[in-house]
Amino acid sequence: MNIVIVGDGKVGYTLAACLAKENHDVTIVDQDAAALEKASETLDVMCVKGNGANVRTLLEAGADEADVLIAVTTNDEMNMVCCLAAKQLGAGYTVARIRDPEYTESLTVLQDKLNIDLVTNPERATAMEISRLLRFPFAINVETFAHGRVEMVEFRVDEFDPIANMSLITMHQRYPGVLCSAVLRGHEAIIPDGRHIIRAGDRMHVLGDILSITNFFKKLGKDTKRVRSAMLLGGGHISYYFAKSTAGMGMNLSIIEILPEKCRRLSEQLGDEVNVICGDAAEEELLEQENLTQFGALVCLLDRDEENMMTGLYAVRRGLGKVVVKVDRPNYVDVLSDMGLDSVVSPKLTTADTILRSVRALARSQSSAVVEKLYRVVEDKVEALEFTAKEGAPYLNIPLSRLRIRKGVLVAVLVRSRKIIIPFGDDHIEAGDTVILIARASTIGALEDAIGEGDVRR
Amino acid sequence: MNIRLVCNLLGRLLMIDSLFMTPALLVALFDGTPDAAALGISMALTGVIGALLALVRPRSDTLRPREGFTVVAVTWVLVSFLGGLPFYISGYIPSMIDCFFETVSGFTTTGSTILTNVEALPRGLLLWRSFTHWVGGMGVLVLSLALLPRMGGRSVFLMRAESPGPSPGKLVPRIGQTAKILYALYLGLSVIMFFMLMLCGMNWFDAFIHTVGTAGTGGFSNYNLSVGHFGNPMYEMVIGIFLLLFGVNFSMYFYLLRGDWKTVWKNSETRLYFSIVFFSILLIALNILPQYGSFREAVRYSFFQVATIITTAGFGTADFNLWPMLSKIILFILMLTGCCAGSTGGGLKLIRVAMLFKGIKREIRRTVHPRGVDVIRMDGKAVDEDIFSSVALYFFGYMAVIFIATLIVALDNFDFESTFTAVVACFNNIGPGFGMVGPMGNFSEFSGLSKIVLSVCMLLGRLELYPMLLLMSRRTWKRY
Repeated sequence: MNIVIVGDGKVGYTLAACLAKENHDVTIVDQDAAALEKASETLDVMCVKGNGANVRTLLEAGADEADVLIAVTTNDEMNMVCCLAAKQLGAGYTVARIRDPEYTESLTVLQDKLNIDLVTNPERATAMEISRLLRFPFAINVETFAHGRVEMVEFRVDEFDPIANMSLITMHQRYPGVLCSAVLRGHEAIIPDGRHIIRAGDRMHVLGDILSITNFFKKLGKDTKRVRSAMLLGGGHISYYFAKSTAGMGMNLSIIEILPEKCRRLSEQLGDEVNVICGDAAEEELLEQENLTQFGALVCLLDRDEENMMTGLYAVRRGLGKVVVKVDRPNYVDVLSDMGLDSVVSPKLTTADTILRSVRALARSQSSAVVEKLYRVVEDKVEALEFTAKEGAPYLNIPLSRLRIRKGVLVAVLVRSRKIIIPFGDDHIEAGDTVILIARASTIGALEDAIGEGDVRR
Repeated sequence: MNIRLVCNLLGRLLMIDSLFMTPALLVALFDGTPDAAALGISMALTGVIGALLALVRPRSDTLRPREGFTVVAVTWVLVSFLGGLPFYISGYIPSMIDCFFETVSGFTTTGSTILTNVEALPRGLLLWRSFTHWVGGMGVLVLSLALLPRMGGRSVFLMRAESPGPSPGKLVPRIGQTAKILYALYLGLSVIMFFMLMLCGMNWFDAFIHTVGTAGTGGFSNYNLSVGHFGNPMYEMVIGIFLLLFGVNFSMYFYLLRGDWKTVWKNSETRLYFSIVFFSILLIALNILPQYGSFREAVRYSFFQVATIITTAGFGTADFNLWPMLSKIILFILMLTGCCAGSTGGGLKLIRVAMLFKGIKREIRRTVHPRGVDVIRMDGKAVDEDIFSSVALYFFGYMAVIFIATLIVALDNFDFESTFTAVVACFNNIGPGFGMVGPMGNFSEFSGLSKIVLSVCMLLGRLELYPMLLLMSRRTWKRY
C-alpha cells in the first residue's frame, strides 16, 4: 500500500519502520531536515521536507494516490488540517493523532465533519491501558477485542497456581468461560491444543469476557490483590484521563504534581474524589508523607523516563503490589523487566500500535476484504484477527468439530449480538458473528483461509 | 568496518557481474573465435570468486555509510580487474596494466583506449569491451539493488555512493523499486535506439556496440575511426540525439511517463543543459565554417562533437584537434562541466556549476548588504547549506585531483596539452582529450605508472571522489 506519514517524531518513525518492513511504500513528510536524514538513512522510505498541511507538499509526497495518510505531528490542529486536505486530494484512509482533552469532548463531531477515519489519543489510550493493568494487577498485559467486550490477559503462571502442570482440557473443564489462546515459553510462542500441559513460568494468554476472566482469576486465588487505590505521579493528560475513566468505581486516587496551576486545574476538573497534591514526586519524604506503602499501586507518569524508573524501583523495594512505569524511550523496556518492573506503558508505542493495527487490517483486507482488526501479540509472533462471518459462507451453522480448520489456527471467540461465546466443538458460526481467530503471524488473510469447506471431520 | 558484510555483498555482486559476460561469450562461441575460451574462463573465475565471498556470513546486517562506500569502491576495482581478464587470457592485450586500464575505461564509461588498432579484436571481445559501458553507465550496484532481494533501508548508501550528483534521491519510496524503474527507463531508451540504428541501415553488431556505448555515454567503438568510419549523417544524427537524451537526469523521464511535464519543463538543470548545447553548437559551427565550406556540414560536425563531449561519451567523427582555438576551448569547457546529475554522463555536473554560480552571486550580494540573509534556491526550493558547502568542497577536490594526477603524469614528459587533457579526459570519463590523446589518438604511449594513475582518475571521476578516497583512508579500516 501507499502510505504517507506526516510527522517524523518517535511515533512517525516507529510507524514508518514497521510499515516499511511489512513491504509498504512509505513516504514521510516533516519539516525537520535532521529527522528526515535519519529516517532516509536507516529505513527504506522516501522523505519529503515541508509542511504537511501544505497541499503542494502533500502532492509531492503523493497523498493524492495514498491508500493511507497518517498525521502524527505534535500539533493537533495541523494533524486535522492535514487529514482534511489529504482527503480532499483523494487519500483513502486517514488517521490523525489528537491529544488535547478540549478536542476529545467534541471528537465525534470533528471526526465526522473532517472525515477522519481513525483518531488516536495517545494519552487516553495509555490511561485505558493503565486502568486495565490495575484491574488485573498480576497481568503483564491486557488487550481488548470486539470493542472492549473481549479481553485477553497475559500473566505468568506461578509454581503454586492450581493450574500449574494441568493439561488445557482439564483447565477448560474446571474453569469454563475462558480460553487459553497462546503461551509464551521462554521465547517460543505456542498456540496450544487441549493436550498442552501448563508449566510454571509460562506466560499464558487467556481470552474471555470481562466477567468470566475476573471469575477465572478469582478461582485461581489472584483476586485478593485487586487494586483499590493508586498514587499517580505527574498531573498530565494521562492522569486526567485515568481519573476520569475510573471515576465512580470506588478507586482512591492521589495525584502528585509539581506545578501549582496544573494542580488547581486538575482539582477543578476532577472534583473531590481525587486527592491532588502539589509537590515534587521525586522526593522520598513526600511519597512517605502521603503513605505510599498504603496504596495498591503506583503509576509513574513524570516527564522524564529516568525519574519514572527510579521512583518505580524505589516503590518495588518498598513492597508495593503493582508499579506501572511510563517510558518514552522504548529501548529501556528490556532492562526494566530484568529489574522487576513488568508493567511498562509508552504512549508513543501505544499510539503506533493502535495505528498499526488498523493499517495492517486494511492491508490484509485489500486482497480479501474481510479482516477488521489485526493484533500482533506475544512479541509479534502471534496474530489475533477479527472477522465478520458473511451471509452464505460455507462454514455457517456447522458445529466446529465438523469443520476442517487449519492446523495452528484457533477459533477463539464468537461475538453474537453482544453475547460472548467461547466456542467448543458443538458451537457453530452464524452469519453476522464477529469471529476472533488466533494464528501464527502472517498466515491468515480471510476467514476462508482458516476454515475449509464444511462437513469433513478434522 | 564490518568486513564480513562487505565480503558477502561483494560476493553477491560478483556473481551478478559474471553473468554480464554472457552476451559476449555467445557471440564468441557463434563466431568460433579463440576468445570464447578466454571469456568462459573469466566468467567462471568471477563466478567462483563471487560464490566463495558470498559464503562469508555476516555477523550483523547493519550497513553503515563506511561499509556502503567501501563496497562500492571495491566492487568497481574488482569488477574492472576481473573484467580485464578476457583481454589478458586471450592475449590480445598482453600487459595486465593495459587490460585494467581498458576495462576501467569501459566500466567508468570513459572510452579512453590503449589499443592502436581496435579492429584487430574479435567480435566477442569487442562486444564485452563495449558492454561494460552499458553496465557501468547506470551502475553495477544500482542494478544489483534492482535484482537482489530486499537489502534493507540502509542500502541507500550504496545508491548514494554510486549515483552521480550532489543529492541523489529516490523516485519512489522503495529503493529496489527505484533501481528497477531506473533500469527499465535505461533499457527502454537503449532498445529504442538500437532499433532506430537498425532502421537506418546499420548491421546489428555495430548497432549494438554503438547503442551500449551511447547509453552509458562511454564512447568505445569497434572501428578505429569511431563513428566517423561510417561517414553517414543519419547514424550521427541518431547517436547524437540519443547521447543528449542519455545526458538528462533520468528522473525527468520518470516524471514525463507520469504525465508530469510541468516539472520537467521547469527544471532548471535540464533547461541550462539544452541552452548550453544549443549555443555551443551554434558558436562552434560558425567558428569551423571556413574549414567545412557549407553551414550544413559545419553544423553536422559541431552537433555531433558537442553532444559527444558534453555527455562525456567521446565518440569521434572529426578530429577536433585541427579545429580553431575557440572551438577547442568551448569543447574543453564542456568536458569539465559535463551534463546533468542523475544521468549516465560524467564531469562536474551542470547542477553543481549552477549552484556555484549562485554562491558567487550571493557572496557579491553579501558584500553589498553585509547583514542580508540569502538562501540559495534551485527549482524554487531552498538548497541546504550543507549541500551547498559540500558542492563547493567537491569542486575543490575535483580540481585538486586533476592537478595531483597531472603532476604524476607529467613524469612521462609529453607536451602540456596532451598531459593535462589526458587527465581531464579520464577524470571526467570523456575519453579523448587534445594533442596526442585527441579523437584520433590513444593512450598507448603512456607509462605504466601514468596508466594506473589515469585508471584511478577514471574511478574517482565516476564515483565522484568520496568512495575511492574513503577506500584509501586509514581511518576507514580502523575498528573504532
